[in-house]
Amino acid sequence: MLALPRPQPAGADAAGRRRRARLAPYGAGVRAMAPWLPGMAMYGLVVGVAAGRAGLPAGAGFAVAPLIYSGGAQVAAAGLLGAGAAPIVVVATVLAINARLVIYSAAAGPYWRGTPRWWRALAAYLLVDPSFAVGYDRYRLDEPDCRAAHAHYLGAGLVLFAVWMSACATGALAAGHLPESLQLGFVVPLFLVGEAERRITSPAARRACLVTAAVAAVGRLAPLHLGVLAAVVIGLAVALATTRDETADAPIAAVAPAGTAAGNETADPSPETQDTPR
Amino acid sequence: MTVWITLLAAGAASYLFRFGPASLVDRVQSLGRLQRAATYVVAVVFTAVAADALVARMGAGPGSMLAPLGAVAVGLVAARRLGSSTAAIAAGMPTLWALTAVLPR
Repeated sequence: MLALPRPQPAGADAAGRRRRARLAPYGAGVRAMAPWLPGMAMYGLVVGVAAGRAGLPAGAGFAVAPLIYSGGAQVAAAGLLGAGAAPIVVVATVLAINARLVIYSAAAGPYWRGTPRWWRALAAYLLVDPSFAVGYDRYRLDEPDCRAAHAHYLGAGLVLFAVWMSACATGALAAGHLPESLQLGFVVPLFLVGEAERRITSPAARRACLVTAAVAAVGRLAPLHLGVLAAVVIGLAVALATTRDETADAPIAAVAPAGTAAGNETADPSPETQDTPR
Repeated sequence: MTVWITLLAAGAASYLFRFGPASLVDRVQSLGRLQRAATYVVAVVFTAVAADALVARMGAGPGSMLAPLGAVAVGLVAARRLGSSTAAIAAGMPTLWALTAVLPR
């Protein structure tokens, strides 16, 4: 006997359609973030291992991820705290690494105008390189009506957050069970070297990084890890002094994920440093 | 306790970086200099932290000095050729293990 489909009330059908339509932009955001996730998971694992191996008090290794939520800054904070650096050095280094977030926030701000304060507070917390890249693309497509883009951004940001936290926690848990002979702590400098290399796309950037490396190496002798800060300041000064002013008004550009190594800092706000695979 | 306070301060300051400009965007007129600095800040900071970690790892013996240097050199070449930091890890770590095993400490 043939089973007839049960008739749906017209109202329920319409409500279902409305619900699907409302959730669709969140799903689109999740799909747009998907290419970033494998690289982010691997990076998060490495960051978690670094935090786990830094010798921080119980719980602090796990808390680094949700408190700072930025890969390079997490690694630097855990490493410096583990090495006994002064709090001011740790905070200043984290802020130096996260300085680009000011640009992202200023770029996203006009699109977030008119949203509830709680929404902006959440959106700001989720603001990192991949979420900015994915979200900014959609905002530029959707303007001036950004309601769907808000959901798109939130979907992308939340899935990234979930993957990142899971990866960091897994890394922190696994860190104690991995043999010392693997020297896994060295994964972080290698990753940072790789990320820096991908961003050296101009002679000025190359000069800046060479000077920075030299100052940081010599600066190991400085107390409280101040050598790192000095290297950053001098490196940036070299870069800014040797570039022309033409880049001053460069528009902020979103960047697509690059290959398999999507770091937490893989989008730069200038066309000069876009992640074009070489 | 100091560790927790430092982490909280770093987290709060990072959040201000994320939230502040978006809230004050109407008052911010020119981001030119900031944009120029932001162009280089990630590469420069990563270089500084990596160089610091590299030097911290190097010891006096040929193995403990040359193994990290060799690993970074190989990782750098791999990252440049393949445009991926995963390549730097994939090439650099085996180099580190091999040099550590072969060279005297």
